[in-house]
Amino acid sequence: MSEKSERLLEALSELNDSTIDAAAEEPPAKGKVRWKRWAALAACLAVVVTGGGLLLTQLGGSGSGSGGHDGASTFMSYAGPVFPLTLAEENDGITAAREITLDFSPWVPEWLSNEEMVSGRTWLTEEEQRDVLEQYDEWYPEGGRWQTSSDILVTDSYTLTNSSGKDQTVTVLYPFASSLSGLAQRTPALTLDGAGLETDLYIGAYSGGFEGAWGGSLSGENEGSVNLDYAESWEDYKALLAGGTYLQNALGEGPDVSGIPVTVYRFTDPYGPEADDDAGVPNPTLRVGFDLDYDETTVLGWGFHMGSYDRENGTMIQGFSIPQPGERGYGEEVYYLVVVGEDVQNMTIGGYVTGGADPDTEPLEGCGVTVERYESDLDTALREILEPYWAERIWEDEYGPTEAPVDFETYYRAFLEYLYAYGMLAPEAMERYGSGWLEGIAGDVWSVDRVCWVSAQVTIPAGGSVTLTASMAKEGSYDFYCAHTENQGVYGYDLVTTLGSTLACTAQTAVLADRGQIEIVRQNFGFDLEAGIKTVTLDPETEYYYLEVRRAEGTIPDGPPQG
Amino acid sequence: MEDAAIVQLYWDRDQEAITASDRKYGALCRTLSRNILSSREDAEECVNDTWHRAWDTMPPQRPASLGAYLCRIVRNLSLDRWRARRAEKRGAGAEALVLELEDCVPAAPSAEAAWEARETAAAVERWLDGLAPEDRWLFLRRYWYGERVDALARQLSATPNGTAQRLRRLRASLRRALEQEGVRL
Repeated sequence: MSEKSERLLEALSELNDSTIDAAAEEPPAKGKVRWKRWAALAACLAVVVTGGGLLLTQLGGSGSGSGGHDGASTFMSYAGPVFPLTLAEENDGITAAREITLDFSPWVPEWLSNEEMVSGRTWLTEEEQRDVLEQYDEWYPEGGRWQTSSDILVTDSYTLTNSSGKDQTVTVLYPFASSLSGLAQRTPALTLDGAGLETDLYIGAYSGGFEGAWGGSLSGENEGSVNLDYAESWEDYKALLAGGTYLQNALGEGPDVSGIPVTVYRFTDPYGPEADDDAGVPNPTLRVGFDLDYDETTVLGWGFHMGSYDRENGTMIQGFSIPQPGERGYGEEVYYLVVVGEDVQNMTIGGYVTGGADPDTEPLEGCGVTVERYESDLDTALREILEPYWAERIWEDEYGPTEAPVDFETYYRAFLEYLYAYGMLAPEAMERYGSGWLEGIAGDVWSVDRVCWVSAQVTIPAGGSVTLTASMAKEGSYDFYCAHTENQGVYGYDLVTTLGSTLACTAQTAVLADRGQIEIVRQNFGFDLEAGIKTVTLDPETEYYYLEVRRAEGTIPDGPPQG
Repeated sequence: MEDAAIVQLYWDRDQEAITASDRKYGALCRTLSRNILSSREDAEECVNDTWHRAWDTMPPQRPASLGAYLCRIVRNLSLDRWRARRAEKRGAGAEALVLELEDCVPAAPSAEAAWEARETAAAVERWLDGLAPEDRWLFLRRYWYGERVDALARQLSATPNGTAQRLRRLRASLRRALEQEGVRL
């Protein structure tokens, strides 16, 4: 314990009133998860399916530092570049001329009245809508607010020319960076000569790595792998896509784990005395203890949230708080221990006054749970756990309830790949998942970044051309809390010209539709707003282009719109 | 009673101000103090001292948020008392908070001038702004209000272990933010 941490505890007293007041209220409703992204990328892993088995391939990381890619910034939140179109199979007869437009129209402020903000929330009752409107009127006494976005619209257009003497039907693949949760907003729409195309979606594995709790800031310490370490530059994506293995894995079949036998322990209807601080029972808890050989057995948990692992003595304790009346999961929660390998031995179950695995914790009488043991296979067991989890999940974005962006099978495949790449069934599990609890993976699979592809069949007539266009909203890259003061309010957008593409481009052009909203901070495109240069030819030898901008002064009106 | 009305009672030198404060904020202040001191008796004394301090400072103060104002007083008084008690080697509840916040201390040369508490708080505030609302709430409830981890977990319908892990990640994130802001504690 140091004076410094004490000073920090004391300094917190100086936080703003509004911050203190807000925390005195009930916990806020769950919102969209925002992941922080950290520095230097560690080596990343991809799962490769080979004849039904799983092979881990070390792809390697670039280890680029800040400013390590051609003068562009290293943003704390990196959205990934715009990638070029590719073909599923190389085809010498097909060439392309690419024109990409970076359109800042989402930056144009749009007035959103308080009434409009409320009326869009159709799932609220009338009374709730009145309450929300009252709240908005307090927050925005001018009757509304100017809404802007830091997304841009990207139109990536390819004139595909068939120089051969016969019609050619090719499979095009358009890559983009997204998480599963971001697919609804990030998936590009493909059109061919202006008509919409039916597309298939292919999902790549996690595009980042893992790092220790200190994010590499402490030298000489074991780095660890407790935190997600997202890709931070285009070079990380270059390393990821190198050799084509990552794409081939996405296009291939998912892992098949139906042949892996498991023993399942299913725990339902836990009961015990209610929590009572004054009676010394702050958190009634059930502990499940057993013996095992750590070299022969892997235990995957669901619903458990405390554990003690004694490899040397061959024992493990898993536990969970007994849900209290009114709590989520009360009377409904199902808890699982899925044993892969040799079964565990000498299982005991007991109640305790609080959580943790401290041997001094007082036992608690009157606790119990229904336990069912059965033999199964890993596929059946995981589906039994994950399908209800999937079904109960509420899909929503900032505007309210939405459809699930992927179906269960797509999610399940991504889950299995992740479990075998980073979880307890990986050759070397990440510390982040060292407890064996599957919820951590179930959540991360949803939110980690990946490279995905939309795919379509396109026919190009002999000696003719067609125009294929990918349109999407592209998120900007930015710093969270201003590590570099020069990047305050700066957003980055970047593209790669050839990475991961087998398509021969004869020309590439970039167009900037600035909409009068931006000033350029850094770039290597060659745009010049003052001189009116908004269309530039890209050099095929230059792999990477970046544009960093901030909002131009005076583009957001001071007050509400007239009239 | 509205905060503004209670503040007016202080300004009017009406002792009902203390009764009204206790009725509205007494439980919150007692819990906060007890979290820091781990002692019901000491917490009770700190809360009584808080009402006196409020009486002595209003007027001239007219706080915009009475709750934050009173909580800030009781927190500072409780930390003072905890420090005094520690000097008598009696141990105390804030020790756990201080120990945990050790994770947030930025790696920086100690020879640098220490930052003012207000500037440090401003840096923390900027970091808090970047967090998801639930993470912000969790951090403040633990390190501002000193609430127990298992109690927080219960309110979040989460698990104590998961909540502790989440707090650990938040501390690591704060440390990083403070380092990047160049904060010297």
